[in-house]
Amino acid sequence: MKRLLLSVMVLSLMVCVSSPAFAADKDDTVRIGIFLPMTGGVAAYGQMEYAGIQAANKIKPTVLGKKVELFLVDTKSDKIEAANAVDRLIKKNNVHAIIGEAISGNTIAGAPIADKAKIPMVSPTATNPLVTQNRQYIFRVCFIDPFQGEMAAKYVYDNLGSRKAAILVDIAQDYCVGLANFFAKSFILKGGKIVATTYCQTGDQDFTAQLSSIMAQKPDILYIPNYYAEVALACKQAAEIGLNVPVFSGDGAQAPELIQIGGKDVEGVVFTGHFEKKAASTELAKKYIAMYEKETGKEASGFDALGADAYFVILDAMERAKSINGTKVRDALANTKNFQAISGTINIGADGNAVKSLVLIQVKNGNFTYLDTVNP
Amino acid sequence: MDPHHKRNQLLSLAGMCAIVLFLLYAQTYGTSYDVRILNNCALFIILAVSYNLINGVTGQFSLEPNAFVAIGAYTSALLTLTPMEKEISFIIEPIIWPLSVIHIPFIFSLIAEGVVTAIFGFIMGFPVFRVRGDYLAIVTLGFGEVVRVVANNAQTVTNGPLGLKGLAPYTNLWWSWGFAIFTVFMISRLVKSSYGRALKAVKYDESAAEAVGINTFWHKMLAFTCSAFFEGVGGGLLAHLITTISPTLFTFFLTFNLLIMIVMGGLGSITGSIIAAVFVTWGSEVLRFVEEPMHLGFIDIPPVPGMRMVIFSLILIFLMIFARNGIMGTREFTWNGVIDWIQKYVKPAGKGT
Repeated sequence: MKRLLLSVMVLSLMVCVSSPAFAADKDDTVRIGIFLPMTGGVAAYGQMEYAGIQAANKIKPTVLGKKVELFLVDTKSDKIEAANAVDRLIKKNNVHAIIGEAISGNTIAGAPIADKAKIPMVSPTATNPLVTQNRQYIFRVCFIDPFQGEMAAKYVYDNLGSRKAAILVDIAQDYCVGLANFFAKSFILKGGKIVATTYCQTGDQDFTAQLSSIMAQKPDILYIPNYYAEVALACKQAAEIGLNVPVFSGDGAQAPELIQIGGKDVEGVVFTGHFEKKAASTELAKKYIAMYEKETGKEASGFDALGADAYFVILDAMERAKSINGTKVRDALANTKNFQAISGTINIGADGNAVKSLVLIQVKNGNFTYLDTVNP
Repeated sequence: MDPHHKRNQLLSLAGMCAIVLFLLYAQTYGTSYDVRILNNCALFIILAVSYNLINGVTGQFSLEPNAFVAIGAYTSALLTLTPMEKEISFIIEPIIWPLSVIHIPFIFSLIAEGVVTAIFGFIMGFPVFRVRGDYLAIVTLGFGEVVRVVANNAQTVTNGPLGLKGLAPYTNLWWSWGFAIFTVFMISRLVKSSYGRALKAVKYDESAAEAVGINTFWHKMLAFTCSAFFEGVGGGLLAHLITTISPTLFTFFLTFNLLIMIVMGGLGSITGSIIAAVFVTWGSEVLRFVEEPMHLGFIDIPPVPGMRMVIFSLILIFLMIFARNGIMGTREFTWNGVIDWIQKYVKPAGKGT
């Protein structure tokens, strides 16, 4: 029995190895590799972004007269797999450009490989400044955390007139720690004061200890730059203990689950985001929203829109370069100016970072409402 | 003394040469993707074989390798990063003084990380081996979590959740396979020595082992510290392969992966750990084709992310039902075994005597 099992296993492996790789026509297609977390801890982001890219591919299936072929590789939300995935896309699928990853840590793991192979890579939502630092071929279509933190601080200080801020930050997420830090720096620079900084971890259910210590400091704004679940729970518990100060958050809050979990307690929460359907003004955005909602039956939101933006920015660069050669596309990407993308106008600035506007969104009557657009 | 000792040594030497030739071939003709998979295989061989020493050979069900790998990875990363790289990575809180200027060659960092991890393992062993069985598993699991939480919070040392990036990709086939062979050699020597027999005695019956005069505490400590040393080295090699580390890399899932490998290979069998490490690492890349869209002539199957994991789970279930002791059980690969096998199956058919 054992021997039989072993031989079956060996045989199946041999079949796997000898199975023919996809018959891609080398000259007639433009191959775009996608590495996203389709399973694992942050699978939700990967799946949303992939849906956005697919919708974008439906809108614009060709570039330079060639068909665009998408190759999806799952990273299991893991760094080792992310590095494997990028190597695989480049060496096995011979892709011309890469879209990915959804989160910063995994993008950093894949970046050196693409950089070395001279294949341009565009991340939809990796907001950590370290992602593109010192990399020639790595770009992104989202704004970076320092910008978001600065704009949040500016809005809170100027428009809400807050002077004493308290922060509740998720220490297990690089995104949250970065954002909280850049907010605090800018807020202090403007003349405000951080009266309390408290910490929590992803998955925490109880924030009353942190909120009580914040309450003792009497802040006039509470900044919670965490993901939606933690933001919603913190808001609920703040209301329970009677901490009635406005709550401000970051783009991690933009998920329908925020309102589902938070209910009436997240009413009035304001956050900085990448994209809001109602604020979308470009031609491409209108086309995209119609296509995405027809294809998936869901409402278009930040993550899928940025996935689609990554796709459109790459295609635009290929058209301007009139080539799919890695180096030429890279140069064109670096020179992206006033590209009318779904999430607003994109300029690629220094270090391959997108310089673009952000939107302020508020929860009103159980819905996300567009508040304002802030330009850099 | 084995009468075939000399022959076996020659065969081992030939085997080593074959591996070196294969690596040379892979280095020259393989793509960077092939090389990466081979490197991953070697790293997981190091981690699985050394984890097997404590879990399989000594029979102490512990769940801490993610802690050891994390300590090794952070130690080596902090030692090999250039002061400039450190300065630009630590954007939130600056790195503390002695670490900010230290920069040593890769080879010394490998030794340093092994030693540091071994010291951690040694210190940790005192509280850990006060308990046995399930409690041991819980204590070690807790230790794994502690290390991860410390890595998250000690921002001036580890850069917190942002992690470290920009490590030089030092890990190549020679480093990874060199250390993999070294690990296998050292641990198989240890297992064959009198210490190894004592460790096995501890596994089968701790009280009986104590009764025949084995100091079980120190033997367990020996296995634990050795395991920690190699896990640490493996961690450093891993860090320099993927060139970036952060606390999320060292969650319980890493331990879980290694546990799957050693159980799959057979608890206590070094050969089994090697086979399973290669099988899982290489297999999970090979199986990616099941997640690609397939055209089977008349039907088109859409891509299904996560399908690999389903297949792996099925293999594991089958293995646990039909071969409960894993691929190798507690048996080991030996040249005598191979030659007996060849004589048994090949000779009668060949010469027909």
